[in-house]
Amino acid sequence: MARINIDGKDLEVRNDATVLEAALENGIYIPNLCYHPDLNPTGACRLCIVEIEGMRGLPVSCTTAVQDGMVVRTNTKMLQELRKNIVWLLVSECPADRVDKNTQFRKVVDYIGVSDLLPGFTCEPKNLPVAEDDPLFIRDPNLCILCGRCYRACKEIRGVGAIGVVDRGMMSRVTSCYDAPMRDTDCRFCGACVEVCPTGALRDKVSFTQEEREDRLIPCGAECPAHIDVAAYVGLIAQKRYADALAVIRETVPFPLTLGCVCPHPCETVCRRGGIDEAICIRQLKRFVADRDDGKWRKRLKVAPATGKKVAVVGSGPAGLTAAYFLRLKGHDVTVYEAWEKPGGMMRGGIPRYRLPEDTLDSEIKIIEDLEVVIKTNSAVESVDVLFDEGADAVFVAVGACTGIKMGIPGEDDSRVLEGISLLKAVNFGRPVDLGKIVAVVGGGNVAIDAARAALRLGVEKSHILYRRSREEMPAMPEEIEGALEEGVDFRFLVAPVEVMKGEAGLSVKCIRMVLGEPDDGGRRRPESVPGSEFVMAVDRLIVSIGQRSEVPEGFSVDLDRRGRIAADEDTLASSREGVFAGGDVVSGPATVIQAIEAGRKAAVAIDKYLGGDGDITQRLYEREGPDPRLGVMQGFGRMSRAETPVIPVKERFKPGFPEVEKSFDDKTALGEANRCLRCRLRFAIAGPPLPPD
Amino acid sequence: MAGKILICMGSSGISSGAEMVAEAFRSELKAHRLLDVFEVVRVGDRGLFRDVLVDVIAEGKERIIYEYIKAEHVGRIVTEHLVGGEPVKDLLAGDDYHRFFEGQMRVVLGHCGEIDPENVDAYVAAGGYDALRKVLQMTPEAVIEEVKKSGLRGRGGAGFPTGLKWQFGRGAEGDVKYVVCNADEGDPGAFMDRSVLEGDPHAVLEGMIIAGYAIGGQEGYVYCRAEYPLAIKRLDIAIGQAMDKGLLGDNIQGSGFSFHIHVVQGAGAFVCGEETALLASIEGRRGMPRTRPPFPAQKGLFDKPTIINNVETLANLRHIILRGADWYAAIGTEKSKGTKVFAIAGKVKNTGLVEVPMGTTIRDLIMGPGGGMARKLLKLKAVQMGGPSGGCIPESLADLPIDYDSINQTGAIMGSGGMIIMDQKTCMVDLARYFLRFTVEESCGKCVPCRVGLKRMLEVLEEITAGRGNEEHLVFLEAMADTVKKTSLCGLGNTAPNPVLTTLNYFREEYAAHIQDRECPAHSCTALLQFVVDESACTKCGRCYQVCPADAIIWEKKQFARIDKEKCIQCKSCVMACDFMAIR
Repeated sequence: MARINIDGKDLEVRNDATVLEAALENGIYIPNLCYHPDLNPTGACRLCIVEIEGMRGLPVSCTTAVQDGMVVRTNTKMLQELRKNIVWLLVSECPADRVDKNTQFRKVVDYIGVSDLLPGFTCEPKNLPVAEDDPLFIRDPNLCILCGRCYRACKEIRGVGAIGVVDRGMMSRVTSCYDAPMRDTDCRFCGACVEVCPTGALRDKVSFTQEEREDRLIPCGAECPAHIDVAAYVGLIAQKRYADALAVIRETVPFPLTLGCVCPHPCETVCRRGGIDEAICIRQLKRFVADRDDGKWRKRLKVAPATGKKVAVVGSGPAGLTAAYFLRLKGHDVTVYEAWEKPGGMMRGGIPRYRLPEDTLDSEIKIIEDLEVVIKTNSAVESVDVLFDEGADAVFVAVGACTGIKMGIPGEDDSRVLEGISLLKAVNFGRPVDLGKIVAVVGGGNVAIDAARAALRLGVEKSHILYRRSREEMPAMPEEIEGALEEGVDFRFLVAPVEVMKGEAGLSVKCIRMVLGEPDDGGRRRPESVPGSEFVMAVDRLIVSIGQRSEVPEGFSVDLDRRGRIAADEDTLASSREGVFAGGDVVSGPATVIQAIEAGRKAAVAIDKYLGGDGDITQRLYEREGPDPRLGVMQGFGRMSRAETPVIPVKERFKPGFPEVEKSFDDKTALGEANRCLRCRLRFAIAGPPLPPD
Repeated sequence: MAGKILICMGSSGISSGAEMVAEAFRSELKAHRLLDVFEVVRVGDRGLFRDVLVDVIAEGKERIIYEYIKAEHVGRIVTEHLVGGEPVKDLLAGDDYHRFFEGQMRVVLGHCGEIDPENVDAYVAAGGYDALRKVLQMTPEAVIEEVKKSGLRGRGGAGFPTGLKWQFGRGAEGDVKYVVCNADEGDPGAFMDRSVLEGDPHAVLEGMIIAGYAIGGQEGYVYCRAEYPLAIKRLDIAIGQAMDKGLLGDNIQGSGFSFHIHVVQGAGAFVCGEETALLASIEGRRGMPRTRPPFPAQKGLFDKPTIINNVETLANLRHIILRGADWYAAIGTEKSKGTKVFAIAGKVKNTGLVEVPMGTTIRDLIMGPGGGMARKLLKLKAVQMGGPSGGCIPESLADLPIDYDSINQTGAIMGSGGMIIMDQKTCMVDLARYFLRFTVEESCGKCVPCRVGLKRMLEVLEEITAGRGNEEHLVFLEAMADTVKKTSLCGLGNTAPNPVLTTLNYFREEYAAHIQDRECPAHSCTALLQFVVDESACTKCGRCYQVCPADAIIWEKKQFARIDKEKCIQCKSCVMACDFMAIR
């Protein structure tokens, strides 16, 4: 420790501290702008000048090391005047009124004040071109005060050096080599430069409030319904820590492999890499690590001591099983009741095997069963009273939405008009299905596409999809639509059936053409029929896949909403009946696996609390390390395009047994893809600059 | 051989056609079968611009010096002088030439224009590397002691005692240490380092090796601006020859001491003459200074202890070692020892490099080697010392002895020895503006006061010279000059306000005239000129009439000149030509 005196105060400070650090650590603020706690000091802004007894001139405190016995003055009249003059120079270069009020620059300017050196002086604005064409960030050299923090952060923290200063004197500018667009530089788009900019000369293109900041800047995890820490596991994959990456996913969800196969990946929709070219292939990365499960995470999995409480879960879909999993981990005795002969709910019955092989599902359900969750199949529950009578302390109803919705058109009752969801279930459970030679599927969701593609695998000659809107409005996953097109599914857009008639051999479906009108409440353009445009299609089967609804047995005695779904509290999932909770499709209507999983997580939290627990279902399944802030140079980073998902050739897809269409990434592809990640979270590890006292 | 023909072939000689002169000598000598009698020696420049200088040294005869020699003169020199024995009178160097050298004491420049810089044997024959051999018999501490005793101070500008710097370098902890030669001569008009490198490169290398031996260094770098291609070429040749002779490289002269020298080319940024910026540039980074401490002697090139010496400093070393510290310390003043090379330029008759003992007065320099004012009718007004970072010393202080401390007291600096002589026609406000523009353009842009402050000062000076000045401008200039001087990061910013501060100090009334009277007393600022003839000063000589390119001057013999404003294009040719300050 060194003993120094700053502004009359005797202080004991670290030996390796600079004068500025020593002052700041002891609550003495010395104005500064180019200083940043995470960067090497350069002494460029000259605001932190001080007087030190025995030293010549006015040393800058940011680069001057403390020495035992040093006597420092930080705020003499002369220093104040000089600082005001420097601020006058700064605002003559970068007019303060053009800079956001919340920036460090404005706060420092306001704190020091501006000398009135040349009354009436106005300087010519620099009028340098603003770089707005780069992805994600705007670079406005007119607001730049050349503090150098941006390019130092790029070099010192990230090891990249994509930007630097060009030209001299007043012409100095921070830019890339030869002013190249940032995509063609070594820029990793990590945002470190933006993070440290004191004026907003470098700023994000997205705008956000302070509360939204993290969600907007790390959108993948924020957008995930279950809030899987996407950024963390993609980062771990890039470090080849595959087991740890899986552990990250496993901390939140019990179905990583299933999700890796079928998740509609809202994370990818918002991925910031999409602002450069295309999103990271997050779903495939999840599958990649789930495929390589070495079981390491299970050794860390903790099952709490038995609580003696019993929970009955009705329905073994993703919601029910997720709730069962986390409730079991909290020490409760969990029994799952499944009406069908095998567990899995929609994952079992609604998703074709070529997307989700049965083994995959079985293996993930087995892990849950291995934790002594009891799953009773062929056990339809008609009344929750029975469950309470059998000793259940709480009931979670997650029976899904498994009944197809009817179109409500004449002739729909014909036995050759099928429900898409029922068809998929029949196929998945291995029941015989006769579809004839030509089928038409009505609808634009994933079930419709699945049904059309399944029909092809069952040997139909022609599989049509009739959809009343256009491709852009289709809710199905783009890669599924793409797969269907490859396989020869015939899409008929802007078409809706209006009547089903008996044809000579099969069915005659009378259709009408549609046009898109004004957007509806959901933002999608409403289809309107074109009078007189009717035409007739001859098909053997008409498969209706325009949505599903739930069937809640009356014996559950819970309040339903007007659409026949269970009314449950948004946060606690509590139904109108004491001890009965509900979630998943039965509450939300047909949704995705990941949404159901989130419902299951919420249920686990709420039910654990209801049973007297703390409701904390967090698991720590891998060793956390501080992230390595260094990214280094990766040649051509801005031009590394998204990896293509490997698929088997079309002709092999129609072999018996519904072979899986997609294949897992190989190591090299996965690593390459994970390395495309911008590591958006890294910038949150950068410290904030010291601000003047209020 | 019976004789030598020396041809000055530094950059200025070559640009004046010295190659052709040398070729002409070769063919004429061949024609006269004298190739075995006279040796043509290509030597460096002597610092005086005289197109091509040729010396004929015949055995047993006085050296004959010819000036302004072109290839077509060579035939006469060979036939009349070499063959006929009679020097060609009309080509002989004149009085000015001799007067230029008379008052000098050439130590550092001693070999320039005398020996072949591309021939190590010539250097060795002239006593070269004797100092190195002597040093290798001494302890490093004794070498440092000798240099300290000599009183040698850094010739780059700041005048830091060289021996002390070496002592810091020697004392610094480090397995690797560097010696860097600062040959990034950036002051406009200064070319002493170039002349030494072109004319006597081995002297610089010898100095570096001695420095390396003294501090315990292994590697040396010469940081030379790429605008000096000839200097770089000759350095490279010299390094190769010294290596071949075992005077450089591994195990020098069997002493066990090894030292290697590399040449690094700078891209010509003025700020790269600042030592920390220079080191950054050698390391391959943008040439921007950093704060000190740590000083390079502790943490310099590649973070290793490094001493940085200027070319002229290094070229002094062999003399100190060979002739002794006492000899050296006897030259100069109490605190400034030895000689100093000055680059005198401007309104003086002889411009060029002059080496004189420290303590010579400004006036002696101008009136001696300088040959007096270029235009006899105009008076000495001021001298800008030390380049753009220096200051303006008024004529009233011309009898000041030139040494580090006296110059500093005037507000100027010694700098690298740039000296610009000005007469009454130089406007002091415009002078300050001129130099400030240079530093504005050469500021690296790193620190705020230098980058922005100098620019704002320049804008204000432009306002004043454009006739839009006001009293507040002067207050601003003083305040900002003070701020920039006190708070800038490196020497460039710390000294850049000097021209403004010194002119404000010594010539404030000239600023006042610009502001209050909207007049430029030197008749220099175009915006403040009326372009009228002051009949009280006009001598009816007609010079203005002769130079006017626009036919705008009306003049007849014994009549006052008049200016036709309709025709005048305000080119100032007449103003500049008038010796009587009669056009304003």
